[in-house]
Amino acid sequence: MSGPGHDALVVADLAVHYPARNGPPVRAVDGVSFALARNETLGLVGESGCGKSTVARAIVGLQPPTRGSVKVDGAEIVGASRAALRAARARMQMVFQDPVTSLNPRMTVGEAVGEPLLVRGIARGAALRERVAGLLTEAGLRPEDAGRYPHQFSGGQRQRIVIARALALRPALLVCDEPVSALDVSVRAQILNLLVDLQRAHGMACLFVSHDLAVVRHVCDRVAVMYLGRLAELAPRDALYAEPRHPYTRALLAAVPEPDPVVQRAKPRVPLVGEIPSPAHMPSGCRFHTRCPMTQAICRTVEPEWRQVGSSLVACHFAG
Amino acid sequence: MLLAPAPFVPALFAPALAVHDLNLLIDGAAVVDGVDFAVASGEVMALVGESGCGKSLTAHAIMRLLPDAVRQGRGRIELDGENLSALSERQMRRVRGRRISMIFQEPQAALDPLSTVGAQVAEATGLPRSQAREAVLRMLAEVGISDPARRIDQYPFELSGGMCQRVMIASALIARPAVLIADEPTTALDVTIQAQILDLLRRLAVERGTAIVLITHDMGVVADIADRVAVMYAGRIAETGDTAAIFAAPRHPYTALLLAALPRLTDVPRSRLAVIEGRVPAPAEFPPGCRFAGRCPLADDHCRAEVPPLRDVGSGHLSACWHSEAVR
Repeated sequence: MSGPGHDALVVADLAVHYPARNGPPVRAVDGVSFALARNETLGLVGESGCGKSTVARAIVGLQPPTRGSVKVDGAEIVGASRAALRAARARMQMVFQDPVTSLNPRMTVGEAVGEPLLVRGIARGAALRERVAGLLTEAGLRPEDAGRYPHQFSGGQRQRIVIARALALRPALLVCDEPVSALDVSVRAQILNLLVDLQRAHGMACLFVSHDLAVVRHVCDRVAVMYLGRLAELAPRDALYAEPRHPYTRALLAAVPEPDPVVQRAKPRVPLVGEIPSPAHMPSGCRFHTRCPMTQAICRTVEPEWRQVGSSLVACHFAG
Repeated sequence: MLLAPAPFVPALFAPALAVHDLNLLIDGAAVVDGVDFAVASGEVMALVGESGCGKSLTAHAIMRLLPDAVRQGRGRIELDGENLSALSERQMRRVRGRRISMIFQEPQAALDPLSTVGAQVAEATGLPRSQAREAVLRMLAEVGISDPARRIDQYPFELSGGMCQRVMIASALIARPAVLIADEPTTALDVTIQAQILDLLRRLAVERGTAIVLITHDMGVVADIADRVAVMYAGRIAETGDTAAIFAAPRHPYTALLLAALPRLTDVPRSRLAVIEGRVPAPAEFPPGCRFAGRCPLADDHCRAEVPPLRDVGSGHLSACWHSEAVR
């Protein structure tokens, strides 16, 4: 068993509130806790505005949280000094949705991929070139590509460059925020295959943020479902997809249009009424009660506790 | 399945919209090349493909809203039997929004931020304000907007993305057009909202008899609401026919690979997804034969030399592949 100090990532009671000029603060992330073992890939899913990307940004230190703790490979990120944060950043890397804006257009691919190694004094000269060639090959590019510029590559290849750079320091944690959402289907498959291969080869922990439940199922060991700043459910992959416990998870799964007309048209519809409320005006009680098909009186007043049901953790009064 | 498959215009059954041999050119390269399809009343026809396949340009050509860089070459677009290409721009303006309407991916960007929901939906009716209000309220209710009496006086910024899409659908359909072109109507929306909008579009096709041309990149969306589908690749239709038939047994290697490249809720996690090697050729580099040949596992010299025509492979299912019987 790995203790908290040995997990790749431990997030405890993380909150990010944005002050509003008039009115209550926007509670984008409002008390999120989970841990990620080495070797493990955790999917973080939810609809736009649920706070999933803010969680990812807080973990890598791009967004100072309002409260809570984030430990990467045992080191606290929240409130860390610049030097401590710099050291911690070597242990975690991030891959964003848009590879175009993630790469400096004036740097060659070799410079971009080699930069983390050069800046940290790990390799230079011929040794650096060799490391870069190895990273490019690992990401499915050719060593010769080092001399070219990002604009000479397609979207999928650019995401490969970003992944090669993220792997340069052999991070303990890789945070991917919608890494394949901007890519066409055929290219998306290539990048998903690459990510699966890299997980197998390196055994790094990976937080995979996505709105796409089919993609998350494909690459993750466990899945956390987020709604309005909080986790609704956290479960091992097979449990979550076979037996979703939270009514929101059920509705999300029912809403995924499956690329098979026979399956899709036979699917029971679980229509969610209405839209996601604003995180500045959080509903009372359970924050999902305004759209939930099984709301009772208690849901409007009492926020559900986070509890274990089978192998799942779920925040619903009626899960079971 | 509302109607029998009708990829070509059958004499006994006139389609609401028919596109014949559409050719669109950018700098002399045919970015849309010989596209043929027809849609009947109450039917949802999907044009599906990856970025740059020409699906969206085809939609804009139907509306005669092409960007300046794109020129229409050959081709004929018929709305209820009338050749739209022959109309003057003035005549075409009377067609848009009344007989044929279009909705877009970004509803917030497509609506006028300075005018109320009511004013925008009423615009297409051509009725005086006082009479239009009743019609608008009915239409807002029909597209599932709750509390229409309050929403009618609101501005787009006060509405969510899903609500804006409903408003756009209301303004597109209030004049009862025969045809609705829906260009990635749910791509910018969350899945739970997407499901609501797809249900709405399907209901409107059935209840109002609107012919819908759905432009999408999402095979899940196609599987959900399309009666028929045309899969496009590099400006040409690779395969077309009944949705159920194409998903059950694709007869073009591109469609087969595209379907195998998708992670599904039913497959083995972390299993190898099919990949399509290489990339779509740039228009200036389109090869003389089949445009998919450079990436196709079945390609041979014949494919590289000669363009495969769309051929019937069984009950209205057409495939533009010399090796369609070898596709598994």
